[in-house]
Amino acid sequence: MKITKAVITAASKSQRTLPLQTLVDRDGEEKSVLRIIIEETLRAGIEEICLVICPGDEKSYAKVAGDHAGRLHFVHQKEALGYGHAIQCAQKFVDNDPVLHLVSDHLHVSRSSEGCAQQVVATAIAEKCAVSAVQSTPESALRQFGTVAGRSIRGKNNLYRIDRVVEKPTPTVAEQTLIVPGLRSSHYLCFFGIHVLTPLVFSILEEKLKIAQDPKTITLSDALEELAKREEYLALANLGWRYNIGKKYGLLTAQMALSLSGTDRNEVLSILVELLALREAGVSKSDSLNEIISGQ
Amino acid sequence: MSKLLDIITATDPALRDRSIESFCLDASLKTLFKECEALDQFWRLCPNLYERVRALFFLYAIHRYYLPQKLSQNSVGHIPFSGYTVLLKRRFEEAIDIFLDAQKQQGQSFAISSALAEAYHQLAFQTLANQVRTSVRSVRGNQWMFRIGHPLDHPLRVLPELCEVDPQSKLFPIVKELTPVRMDLSHSGWSDIFFLGMDYPQGAQVLNVSIDLSIRGKDHGEKPKPPIEVYFRIIDEPVLKLTSVDLNATAEITSIYEVFDFAKDYLGLLKAAVIASGIVLPGMESADQPLSELFSRIIKPGHGIELVSKVNGIPKGSRLAVSTNLLASLIAVCMRATGQTESLTGPLTEADRRIVAARAILGEWLGGSGGGWQDSGGIWPGMKLICGVAAQEGDPEFGISKGRLLPDHTILDTEAVSEEHRKLLQDSLVLVHGGMAQDVGPILEMVTEKYLLRLEKEWHARHRATDLFSAIVSNLKKGDISGLGSATEENFFGPIQAIIPWASNTFTESIIQQVKDEFGDDFWGFWMLGGMSGGGMGFIVEPTRKKELQDRLSDIMGATKEKMQKAVPFAMDPVVYDFAINEKGSVAQLLRSENALLPLEYYTQVMPKLLRQEQHQLSQSRKHELSQLGYASRKNPELSGMVHALFDRILPSMEEATKVGDSLEELLKEYGFDPVQHENIRADLRSGKIGLAQNQLAANVEIRDVVKEQVVDATEGLGQSYHDSGMAALRAGEVAVVTLAAGSGSRWTKGAGVVKGINPFCKLSEEHRTFIEVQLAKSRHTAEIVKKSVPHIITTSFMTHTPIERFLQDCNSYDYQGPLYLSLGQSIGLRMVPMIRDLRFAWEELSQQLLDEQAQKVLESERAAFITWAKQCGEGADYRDNLPLQCLHPVGHWYEIPNLFRNGTLKQALAERPQLKHLLVHNIDTLGANLDPALLGYHIQKQKAFTIEVINRGVEDRGGGLAQIDGQVRLVEGLTLPREEIEFDLSYYNSNTFWIDIDMLLDLFSLTRSDLDNDEKVLTEVRKVAARMPTYVTLKEVKKRWGKGQEDIYPIAQFEKLWGDMTALPEATCQYMVVPRFRGQQLKEPAQLDAWLRDGSAAFVENLCTWE
Repeated sequence: MKITKAVITAASKSQRTLPLQTLVDRDGEEKSVLRIIIEETLRAGIEEICLVICPGDEKSYAKVAGDHAGRLHFVHQKEALGYGHAIQCAQKFVDNDPVLHLVSDHLHVSRSSEGCAQQVVATAIAEKCAVSAVQSTPESALRQFGTVAGRSIRGKNNLYRIDRVVEKPTPTVAEQTLIVPGLRSSHYLCFFGIHVLTPLVFSILEEKLKIAQDPKTITLSDALEELAKREEYLALANLGWRYNIGKKYGLLTAQMALSLSGTDRNEVLSILVELLALREAGVSKSDSLNEIISGQ
Repeated sequence: MSKLLDIITATDPALRDRSIESFCLDASLKTLFKECEALDQFWRLCPNLYERVRALFFLYAIHRYYLPQKLSQNSVGHIPFSGYTVLLKRRFEEAIDIFLDAQKQQGQSFAISSALAEAYHQLAFQTLANQVRTSVRSVRGNQWMFRIGHPLDHPLRVLPELCEVDPQSKLFPIVKELTPVRMDLSHSGWSDIFFLGMDYPQGAQVLNVSIDLSIRGKDHGEKPKPPIEVYFRIIDEPVLKLTSVDLNATAEITSIYEVFDFAKDYLGLLKAAVIASGIVLPGMESADQPLSELFSRIIKPGHGIELVSKVNGIPKGSRLAVSTNLLASLIAVCMRATGQTESLTGPLTEADRRIVAARAILGEWLGGSGGGWQDSGGIWPGMKLICGVAAQEGDPEFGISKGRLLPDHTILDTEAVSEEHRKLLQDSLVLVHGGMAQDVGPILEMVTEKYLLRLEKEWHARHRATDLFSAIVSNLKKGDISGLGSATEENFFGPIQAIIPWASNTFTESIIQQVKDEFGDDFWGFWMLGGMSGGGMGFIVEPTRKKELQDRLSDIMGATKEKMQKAVPFAMDPVVYDFAINEKGSVAQLLRSENALLPLEYYTQVMPKLLRQEQHQLSQSRKHELSQLGYASRKNPELSGMVHALFDRILPSMEEATKVGDSLEELLKEYGFDPVQHENIRADLRSGKIGLAQNQLAANVEIRDVVKEQVVDATEGLGQSYHDSGMAALRAGEVAVVTLAAGSGSRWTKGAGVVKGINPFCKLSEEHRTFIEVQLAKSRHTAEIVKKSVPHIITTSFMTHTPIERFLQDCNSYDYQGPLYLSLGQSIGLRMVPMIRDLRFAWEELSQQLLDEQAQKVLESERAAFITWAKQCGEGADYRDNLPLQCLHPVGHWYEIPNLFRNGTLKQALAERPQLKHLLVHNIDTLGANLDPALLGYHIQKQKAFTIEVINRGVEDRGGGLAQIDGQVRLVEGLTLPREEIEFDLSYYNSNTFWIDIDMLLDLFSLTRSDLDNDEKVLTEVRKVAARMPTYVTLKEVKKRWGKGQEDIYPIAQFEKLWGDMTALPEATCQYMVVPRFRGQQLKEPAQLDAWLRDGSAAFVENLCTWE
């Protein structure tokens, strides 16, 4: 199996501006979110990237992609018909090849020197099947994620064979059907936002969308649930941390996480410590900020 | 090796299912004690829950039923108070150790055995309840709800589409859930009790049918519809609003803590649903955050939830599981709204229904109530078999119980039961509510106990019920409704009554007989719906005569109720239903835009309050809602009666209120109420001069147990000479019986105001007998033996006189041959709202039975509500908020004897039989007391004014006894003892049976036989003695009925003087006889009946009787 293509979805109306935001990356350079995601895929050996977008967004995306713009293929999702449909829009680009898939509203920080996407791709190549990155997640956050159930594969660290996939389950459903042995109590394996999809996923999506009364109801999880029944499908856990930049303070958290794991770690840490200390001492925010800015 | 342990641990069903009685009846006392030792060691170490529970039940049964028969009747024992105290605190294991230790020190006795029986019994049930609770919590899908304790961790969100107002109408959408109720066509011996389902899954099976209902006559010919309607909507205030349209109750809750306060108002069920559905999680019980914080997380800031329930007038006690299905319906609507079901509207999926059912079980446990596992069957469509399932590996129950907590539901589709056969069932069955509402809690305990003991008769009955279940299902499939009717009727008269004789009653059997007489072969059978009969019942008839039967049943039940209403507790007038099988189950719809309005009854309930508010105080959405409502009430026929209903509500009929007041005044006047004395008592009560604490004797009074020489032991019989004297007096007609029947018997029906004397309480010699019938049958029996009629006096009061008089007229006094007198009471009291001081004293100072964890929480919240009630009504104020008769009280049995002088009864009896010298006075419920010649002879020969019978004390005998008070041997009331533990040192309990020498009695009142003509003198002398008698303040329970079969029980204060205090008069000559317990024990509560029947008491009484 060779994986050189990636699909990034960015068509959701509420999220289309997120990839355009600017952050300081681990290397201390200012980059757009989109560029950080693109570089994540490149580390995984990806050569061509398909961006599923709302019509008219190409220019702004191409701009923030900088020197990577040449690798981008834009595909339009003309109507807001849901996540499953958005992925399906890339079927032509995929052209019967396995692809790496990432969402554009999440940033990932790896625990190791290898990138998260890189590890998922490596696993998919080694196991010759679809792989989703997953993360052990407390039940209070279940409503945000697709969740999988499966059994760990003996001798292969952090690798699970998936039996079930349920999109945003209630804790009741999770407790009844999605408990995975070996996890902490009340924790479940939820999607991390990185997948390697085999061509069958696109066929399944096509079938499902064809018969669905409302295409918006079809999610990637529905297709992956079906995939697990038809071919080998694995989950790779414990890669690192994911940051949803779309939620309140999401961008700030992501920035902190990137900085604290990068070259500016000491500088950012000292800013944080100072902020906390001054707050405790009751000095007004503006004063402290002024001092920081003036480097005192 | 112990034989009973062999039975408990056997793997062979033939041995395991052997009954305990097969062994114990023939075993010697020594063997039984050895078995007890072995069983006691076993339960302490046994890891298997069910074997442990069975060992506990065996121990209970031996101590309760088999040992007392073999122990010497005069074995006196003292129950250690320390053991009793820990027993009340539910520390059963500790109590058992203390009692066993006492047994070792004192030797075996009835007293200690009775205490051990109680402790083993309660420990067994606690162990079972713990197991069910653990299973409820550990059912997958319920566990997470107990883990999450902080609003910030709440994993659910209300669906966004419910959180936005409609742009045009500005109203939030409403989710409306419609749910049928269920009827159980099989009643397979209460096999749906959770424990039975878990221990005996193969025997747990029911045929459960979802139905729609309408009430004939009331609903103006409306077609049956799902009786349960519940509504969910978001509101723009950060509160939880709960409204029960039927119970006329509404609440606005702002804190998480309040949601768990179940008994504060009538909205406990709605609160339980909010919790069990996962909106407020059970794990948040003690969280102190405001609800607004939780709501801002799961809805959005500044918003809340409104939940409304309505059951379309279906009365309580219908045996159709209305409350469980209402709970399930509320849970379903809340789960839909929070995205926990497959879809927001339409029917539920099978997976959803199972979760809703599991949550309903959780909700019932939280609310301290308990239904069977089939009860939420209404959320499933049509007909279904619900069966117990063996626990498999992976189930939380596996290895602990044989069966799973949740049963399996198999829907019977039209292939299994054709459309035609369904219609035939519908066309043949008449559903009714007889009007009785009874507490079935004790019955479920009895069933469980009998099952575990494998009592032979009951165990065979259970097997027969299983056979009949198969017959019912097969007849239904074949469309043989007549055969189905025979099977349900055989089930009722056979297995059901063999397991629980109390499932039937005179009222039900009288109706069945009348229907049989009128409809002959066209009446295909009676069908009992569940729990107990007298409430919801079914009559199966040839289809062409269904309408006729519906009409006739209405009349028959009405007339029978009219005849029996003073004898049997009715909660409401009987009703006949129209019903239809509901083939959809629970279904939801979304009301949007201008249709997003709640039902008419809701608005008539909340509108008066809203009208009193200034416009600017109303929330935005409320203003829009009212404006939409105004528009809709002109257009929508369902809301067209709004204006009338509103006026009726705001200005309730003044006429009716005046009528109630008048009739109470009339009664007070008629029965000689003394307003001056009443005001004095009130002043004393309010000033704290009298009260529960003041009932007690001074702390420096010396109270000691009597010594053996101070009593006569009559437990093993007395000498022949006494017997001969007694026989001679009886033959000479020197003795009359006085049965005290003036009291309200408030414990018998929890203050329902039924006359206990004429309550047909039990089948003896094949027929239901009343207390009076038993008392007369004993006098008849004596009269036959001595060949001389026995005068029998029944004392009455304002409350019991007319019903007893009418009843005796109707039954021709059971053809009693001797002189029979009714002695009408001359005194009456008006009940009062209790003092908070007294309520607290009763609940906090006196020992109280601690309940099961959840039930105790409910009880405590109920008590807090009563304190508020007393405060609002005014402590010591007259209690007038009930039916007039329920506001009055008889003033204690002391007055019942002097009343014989005052009302001329004694004078008349003496005139008719001048040789009359002695009276046997006893309570209406002391069923074993009779004119025993030897006891009488002893009384005569010793020439005392009073010969008083006492019995060996058992653990349940609370309320005083025989003591030496500052050296004087006398009876002492429990409420006068300054410390509770004193009672436990007293060996003998007062059975309130007195042999009285008439002349000596008159002498105590400074009267002679001839003075009985002088009313004035009699009155003066009676008053003098009355003034020497203490007046006690007591708290009693009184039932208030309202709505559709709803009942509340209030604590009220009243005062009384008690006859036992006569023994304190220094000039009264008294002697005390210890008699066998069978003779002296009293039947105070229906829950005692089953044991009374089983322990030989009933047979003892039957032997003393000659029936009419």
